[in-house]
Amino acid sequence: MRNIWIILKSEFIRRVRSVWFIVITLLAPVLIIGIAVLPGLLTVMLADSDTKTVVVDDATEVLLPRLQAEAGERFVFTPAAAVEGELRAAVRSGQFDGLLELPAELRDGEGQPTYYATESGGLAFGSQINRIVRNAVQTQRLEDQNVGAEVQRIFQERVSVELLTLTDEGTAADGTFVYTLVGYIMGFFIYVAVLIYGSMVMMGVIEEKTSRVVEVMVSSVKPFDLLMGKVLGIGAMGLVQLATWGVLILGGAAVAGSVAAFFIDPSDFDLGADASQEALLEAASITIPSIAPSLIVWFVLFFLGGYLLYASLYAAVGAAVEQQQDAQSFSLPLTMLVIIPILFIVPVADSPNSTLAVGLSLVPFFSPILMVVRAAITDVAFWQLALSYGLLMVTFVGAVWVSARIYRVGILMYGKKPSLRDLVRWFQQA
Amino acid sequence: MATLQVRDVVKRYRTVTAVDHVSFSAEAGRILGILGPNGAGKTSTIRMITYITTPDEGEVLFEGQPVGPWSQRRMGYLPEERGLYKKLKVGEQLLLLAELKGLARNDARARIRHWLDRFDAADWFDKKTEELSKGMQQKVQFIATILPEPDLIILDEPFSGLDPINAELLKDIILELKASGCTLLFASHRMEQVEQLCDDICLMAEGKVVVDGPLREVKQRFGKDTVLLEFAGSPAFLDPLVAAERVRIINKTQQRAEVRLLQGTPPRKVLEAALAGVEDVYRFEVMTPPLAEIFKSLVGKRPEEMARDEAPRPAEATA
Repeated sequence: MRNIWIILKSEFIRRVRSVWFIVITLLAPVLIIGIAVLPGLLTVMLADSDTKTVVVDDATEVLLPRLQAEAGERFVFTPAAAVEGELRAAVRSGQFDGLLELPAELRDGEGQPTYYATESGGLAFGSQINRIVRNAVQTQRLEDQNVGAEVQRIFQERVSVELLTLTDEGTAADGTFVYTLVGYIMGFFIYVAVLIYGSMVMMGVIEEKTSRVVEVMVSSVKPFDLLMGKVLGIGAMGLVQLATWGVLILGGAAVAGSVAAFFIDPSDFDLGADASQEALLEAASITIPSIAPSLIVWFVLFFLGGYLLYASLYAAVGAAVEQQQDAQSFSLPLTMLVIIPILFIVPVADSPNSTLAVGLSLVPFFSPILMVVRAAITDVAFWQLALSYGLLMVTFVGAVWVSARIYRVGILMYGKKPSLRDLVRWFQQA
Repeated sequence: MATLQVRDVVKRYRTVTAVDHVSFSAEAGRILGILGPNGAGKTSTIRMITYITTPDEGEVLFEGQPVGPWSQRRMGYLPEERGLYKKLKVGEQLLLLAELKGLARNDARARIRHWLDRFDAADWFDKKTEELSKGMQQKVQFIATILPEPDLIILDEPFSGLDPINAELLKDIILELKASGCTLLFASHRMEQVEQLCDDICLMAEGKVVVDGPLREVKQRFGKDTVLLEFAGSPAFLDPLVAAERVRIINKTQQRAEVRLLQGTPPRKVLEAALAGVEDVYRFEVMTPPLAEIFKSLVGKRPEEMARDEAPRPAEATA
C-alpha cells in the first residue's frame, strides 16, 4: 500500500504541474462554451448592430403604417413617394438597403410581396422581414372583414403547452430538454475522459518501458503496485480536473440562461427579435432545473469506475507494446468498447426506460456512459444503479487481475510486437 | 555464511532454458563478478536475485532467508538497461526511488545532497532529467542504486557509457562500498574490466556456470602459460611460431603481443624469436592467461564469438 501511495503521489504531482494540465484545465471550459456559444452570440451581436433602411413601394396604400408600427429598432420603412427617381436605382446606389414591393392584390389574399436588395441579408433577416409583413397583412385583412376586436385577439394569441413533472413535492417545471442535455454532456464527458485518461495511462506505461526505467522500478515494487499507483495517480489528476471544471461550470450556471437563449431563434416562437431572455426561455419551455446531488454522486462514481476499468486494460496494452504505432492497433478493440455506448446514446436518451436502455446500462463496459445518461434523464431505480455499479466493480477487479498478469511479463519484454497468443502465454506464465 | 546463496536455480522461457541449475554464493566485503557473453543467463539470474522474477526450480537465499519484497529493500540494482523518468527533476527522481526502498524523505534528501556533491553534481537537484546527458543520467542512476545504503549491490555493466574520469570515480566508490562491508555483484561481458575489480568470479555460458571461485584460484588453475611482449619493430617474428602451432595469438599490435603457449612451449622460445626479429624488447612477462582465454579453454569459444547477434536485450534473449 505504501508503495502504491508513493507512486500515486509521484504520478499525480508530475502531471498536475505540467503546463499541459494547467492550460487544459483552465481553458477547456472556456473553449467548449466558446465553440458552442460563439456562433449564436455573433449572429445576435452582428444582426442587432445595424438598422436596415427599406424603401416600400406600397400599392395597397394601407400597409406601410402597419409595417412602421411593427418595425422595432431593426427596420426603418420609408414611403416610395419620398424618393425621387427610380427606386431600384436608389437601392443599387446604396441609398437604401432594400426595396419592398407590396402589390395591391395583397389585400385580397393574392399576389406576393417582393424584397429587392443588393446583398443577401442572411437567414435571420429573411425570417424577420417575413414575420413583419405577414403580421401587417394579417391584421389588415382581419380589419377589412370587419372582424371584431375579440376575434382579432384570438388570431394573435399564441398558445403554448406548459410541461410539468410530477414529483413527491407536487409538480415541478419539466426539464426534459435540459436533463437530456445534461445527460449527453455527462455521457460524452465520461467517454472523452476514459479515452484520454486511459491513453495517458497507456502512454505512461510505454514511456516507462521504452526508457527502461521500469527495470529499476520493479526491483523495488511489485508490478501490481506500480500499475495501480499509475492508474490511481492519473485518476486523481482526472478528479482534480473534473472538480475544477465543476466549479467553473457552477460559476457559469449563473449565465446559463443567456447561453440557452442564444440557441433559440425568437421567430420560432413568434416573438420579436428584441424579446427578453426570460420570454424566450419561457416560450421554449426551458427553465434551468437544479441537478440532483445524487446524480452528481453517481456521475463521479461511474466516471471513476469506468476510468479504472478501462485504464487498467489500457495499462496492459501499454505493457504489451513498445512502439506507439503498435499501441494504436492493440488498443483498437478497447477503443471500440468505449465507442459502442456512444452509438446507443441517442436511443437510450430518447426512451431511457426501454428494455434496451436498461439492459445496456447494466453491461459493465457500457454502464459508465449509458447509466449516467439514463440517471440524468429519468429516475432510475436504485437497485438498477446499485446492480450496474456492482457489476462494474466486479469487472474492474477481474480486469485488473488479467491486466496485472500481462503487465508483469510485458513490461520486461522488449523487441518484437507480441501476438495475441503471446499475450495469452504471458498471462499463463505470470 | 555467505550473504547471498543461489542454489540450483532453473528458469525456463518457453523452449529456452535461460538459467540451468545455477549455484553460486556471494560474501560480504567481496566483489563477485558474474561473467559471460550476452545471453549467458546473467540478467535472468539477477532478476531472480532481485525478486523481479521467481525461479522455476531451486531457491535464492539472502542472509539465509528466501528472497522476497523484504529483501528488495536491502538490495540496490543498477540494471544494464537503464532509464529514468524524463519529466522528473533529478532530486525528485532520487527521492522517489529512495522512498520506494523504504527511506524517509528527510534522510533521503540529505543523502542525495551528499552523493550529488560527491559526483560533482551538487546543482543538479532541481534539473530536469531530460536535460542531462547520457553519462550524467548514468551517474544519477548509480546514486539511486547506492542511496538507500543496500547490503547487496548489483551492478550490471556499470561502466558502459562512462568516460574514463567518471569510470575511475565509480571504481573508487565501488571499492569504498566493498570496504564498508557491502556484498557486491558485478555482471559484465567485458572480462578485462572484471579482472581488475573482482575477488570472486562466476563464469556463465548458455545458462550454466562454467567455473566459479576466487579469481586468483581460478587463474592459477590454468597456470602461467601466457607471454606478454612489448617491443619496437614488426610482430612478424611470431608468424613461424603460430604456423608451427607452438603459440596462439591472443592479441597483437605493432608494439605489443599477448600469446598463449601451446604444446608446452617454453616461454624463452618466444623471447628468443623476438630478440632475433625485432629492434628491441621493452617488456617480457610470463603470466596467467586473461579471463577471456580461460573462458575459451572451458567453453571452446571466446566470449565474443558466443555473443548472440542481437543487441543486449535480456528479455528477448531469454524469451
